[in-house]
Parts: sequence; C-alpha cells; structure tokens
Amino acid sequence: MAPIQFPHMVFLYGIPDIAKNHQVRKKYTIQLGENELVLKELDLLKEDANVYKLIGPVLVKQDLAEANANVRKRIEYISAELKRLDAALQDLEEKQNSKKEAILKVQPRIQSLQAGKAKD
Amino acid sequence: MEGKQGVKGTVTALSSLYPTEEAQKAAKRVQDTIAEKQQELERLHGFISDNTNLINLVQRLPDNLHHDIMVPFGKAAFFPGRLVHTNEFLVLLGEGYYAETTSKKAAEILKRRGKALETQVDSLNAMMQDLKAEASFFHTTAFEAAEGIVEIREDYEDETSVKSESEPGLLKQVSSSFSEADNKRVAVEDKEFARIMSRMDELEKEELEADGNDESDEDEPSKADMDSIAEKLSNQEIRNAERPESRKPLEQAKNKNVATEEIRNAQHHAHQDIADQLNCTGLTVQSIPKGGISNDYTLASDVKKPAEKTVMPPKAENKVRAFTSPQSEVPLETPKPNFDSKLAFTGSIVEHADNIETSSRKQTPSQSSGSQPSKPVSRFKMHRR
Repeated sequence: MAPIQFPHMVFLYGIPDIAKNHQVRKKYTIQLGENELVLKELDLLKEDANVYKLIGPVLVKQDLAEANANVRKRIEYISAELKRLDAALQDLEEKQNSKKEAILKVQPRIQSLQAGKAKD
Repeated sequence: MEGKQGVKGTVTALSSLYPTEEAQKAAKRVQDTIAEKQQELERLHGFISDNTNLINLVQRLPDNLHHDIMVPFGKAAFFPGRLVHTNEFLVLLGEGYYAETTSKKAAEILKRRGKALETQVDSLNAMMQDLKAEASFFHTTAFEAAEGIVEIREDYEDETSVKSESEPGLLKQVSSSFSEADNKRVAVEDKEFARIMSRMDELEKEELEADGNDESDEDEPSKADMDSIAEKLSNQEIRNAERPESRKPLEQAKNKNVATEEIRNAQHHAHQDIADQLNCTGLTVQSIPKGGISNDYTLASDVKKPAEKTVMPPKAENKVRAFTSPQSEVPLETPKPNFDSKLAFTGSIVEHADNIETSSRKQTPSQSSGSQPSKPVSRFKMHRR
C-alpha cells in the first residue's frame, strides 16, 4: 500500500486559496500606490488646470475638485478591500494550521495501522 | 597549540548542520529569486530611460510653433500632418486621469515620476544585495558540507589565567607584528611559560648581581625585542617599577624619567594590546615606540628591575635593556637625557638587526649586566645617551 499521501494532500488544502489571496492583495496594493501618486500630482496642479478622465474611449473633462474627491474615495475603497483581504488571509492561515496539526496527530496512527496491515 | 590543556571541544560535521542537499536546494531557490529581481531591475531601467527620453522630447517640442510629422493612422498607416499647440500637453497622472499642462509642468511631472522609479530601483538593488549574500552563504555551506568539512569548537580559556603565561610567549612573538604577537602569544604562551619563568629567574639573579654594571645594551632594540623583554618581566617589573618610581626623585634626570614615563604611557597606548596581555600596567609595556620615538627605550623602564636601578646607565634608557635597568635608574649613571634637545634626532633609534635579537637574548639571561662587550654596538651609538 502506498505510503500515505493523504496527510500531505490535506495539508495542501488551503494553499491555493492563500496564493489567490496574495495575488489579489498585490493587485490592490499596486492600485493603491498609483492612486496615491495621482492624488499627489492633482494637489500640485494649479487651480484652473483642466483635468480629464479617460472612460473607455472618451476623454471627459472633469473638475479638479471633483477629481480630487474621486481619487480620495477610491483610495479609501482600496484600503478597505486590502484590510478585508488581510482578515481573510488570516482566517485561511489559521485553518491551514489546524489542519496541519490534525494531520500530525493522525499520521502516526495511520502509519502503525499500515505497518500492521503489511505484516499480515 | 600546546599548552591548552584540557580544552574541551566539539566536532560537528557541517553536513549535519546543513544537509548538503537542502543547502543546494536553498541556494538554487535564492538564485531563482535573484534572477527574478534582476528582470525587474531591467524593466525598471527601461522605464527610467524611456522617461528621460520623454522629458527631452517634451522640452524640445515648444521650440517650434508647429512640427511637420507623419501621423500614425490605424494599425499600419501614416499620413503627413502637423503638430500644433506645441506647448499643450495632456499628462497621464494615473488611473485614467489626465491633466492639461504646459511643457514645463509636464517635464516636472515626469521628473518626479523618474525619481520615484529610482527609489524603486534602489530598494530593489538593496534586496538583491541581501539575496546575493544569502546565495553565497548557501553556496559555501553546500560546498563545505559536500566536502565533509567539520566545525570544531573549543572552550575559551580564561584570559587572566593565561596572561602570566603569555609572557614567555612574548619573547618569541615579539618579532612579529604586534597583532600577530598577540595571537601568537596566546598560542605559544603555555609553551614558553616554563622557559620564560626560568629565564626570568635567571635575569633577576643577574640583575641583582649586575648591579651597577647594568649596561643596557646599547643596541637599539627592536620593537619586538623590547616588547618581549618588557613583557617578560612585566610582572616583576610592575613591582619593580614601583621602586624606580620612588627613586626618581633621586635621579638626576628626574625630569627625564617623567618624560620617559609619559612617553611610555603614550607608547603604552600603542602597544596596548601587549600591555593588556601582560596584565601590565601602563608602565611596563612601553615597548619600543613604533616610531622609534622613545627616548625611552627605557620603556622597559617600568620593567626594570629595581635592583638595577642604581646602575642602569643611561644606555639602558635607550634600549630594551631598559628592562634590566629601570628607567628611573638610568639617570643615575649619567644623566643621559632622554631628550637630547641638542640633537635633532630625539627619538630613540630602533635598530632592527640581528644584534638586537642577540642582545635581547643576552639580556634576558644576563639580566642587566651592562657590560656586554659581546653586544653589538649600535650604529647610532653617538646618539645614545
């Protein structure tokens, strides 16, 4: 009988989720950085400068104040998302740990059983 | 290293600490990460160069009212056209936001972006450095583990207990650089201990005998010699030093002594390590000044045996002999000034020659017997006081 793969597979449970979490987090982090840059530049612009937003193929003229507000809101949204993701990540890690422990406990028993079986 | 009696040690095979395979795997992993970071770095460099090109273009465009250009049309066509409004730029700020600005302002925005890129590059470089260090470490451990190198640990013996033993070692070591001397000393001290002790005993006896004739070797002692000798007698000298000190007032060259003392102290710093080794106070180890400054060759002075004191001729000052003749003593015979203001050369001359070795050797056995006709005469005898 093949040595137990079972524990390892169970252990792997949760890893894909964690990886996905990481990816999404990375994306959000990059976006957050970009938005902060935009905010900085907007602050440096003169009051009457024209600001346009690219929505699809359309360049729409926007008010500087409006643009500022929009960017700020977006930043807040992204930060909130990041925090949510962090919490989810924590959860996933905890689950993974508990699974690991369970496996460790079960493994020796399984092995002894296997040995017993092999003897027969 | 003999003399390290009863040193406990452990021998661990490096391969057990860092299993070969794992070390290699780790090294490989680090290499991969390094490769990734390298790619990132190149990307960033590309960005930076693009940025600079753009800045140049933006700055050149307003030079003309309009430019004649070939305008791209679709995916595979161009048509001749004109670039007008050459000072108006729509700069992408990010996240779909554009700002209409002049060429100057656009250039500024781009420059700021360039700076941000550069900080990114710097941080990436720093990470690369760390990774590289890690990689090299893994490489070497993997290599060593594969070779079967073992790690040997030995308990560290108490410094103080071996200090006294260090002196014997000093003689030997002195010739080498001081730093080496230190190491060697430790290494050799046990070895030399017995020998030195006996020599010291002899020297002491001889000093007592050679009272008054203590003619320090004229030869310029080499630094090493002085040191060695000084160190050898350090223990005793310390004690003896006390006495010469008391006698100083009696000496004619009292001031000299003081000067020498000071010099010694100064030198002492130079040879701090030796001094420390010897547990000597500042007085004892003055060993020859590095620059051969010593008026005090006497530095041995501290060392000197009190017994000598009376006799020590000024020569003793010059030399390592000093140890035989206490500094303070020196003045006794002839107030050879340690500082001869008349002479341009006020320092002691350090002669590094064979004779020094011999003289030092001789000194040890004969302690301070001043007259040592066999002693090679210093070339600089004139300058000696």
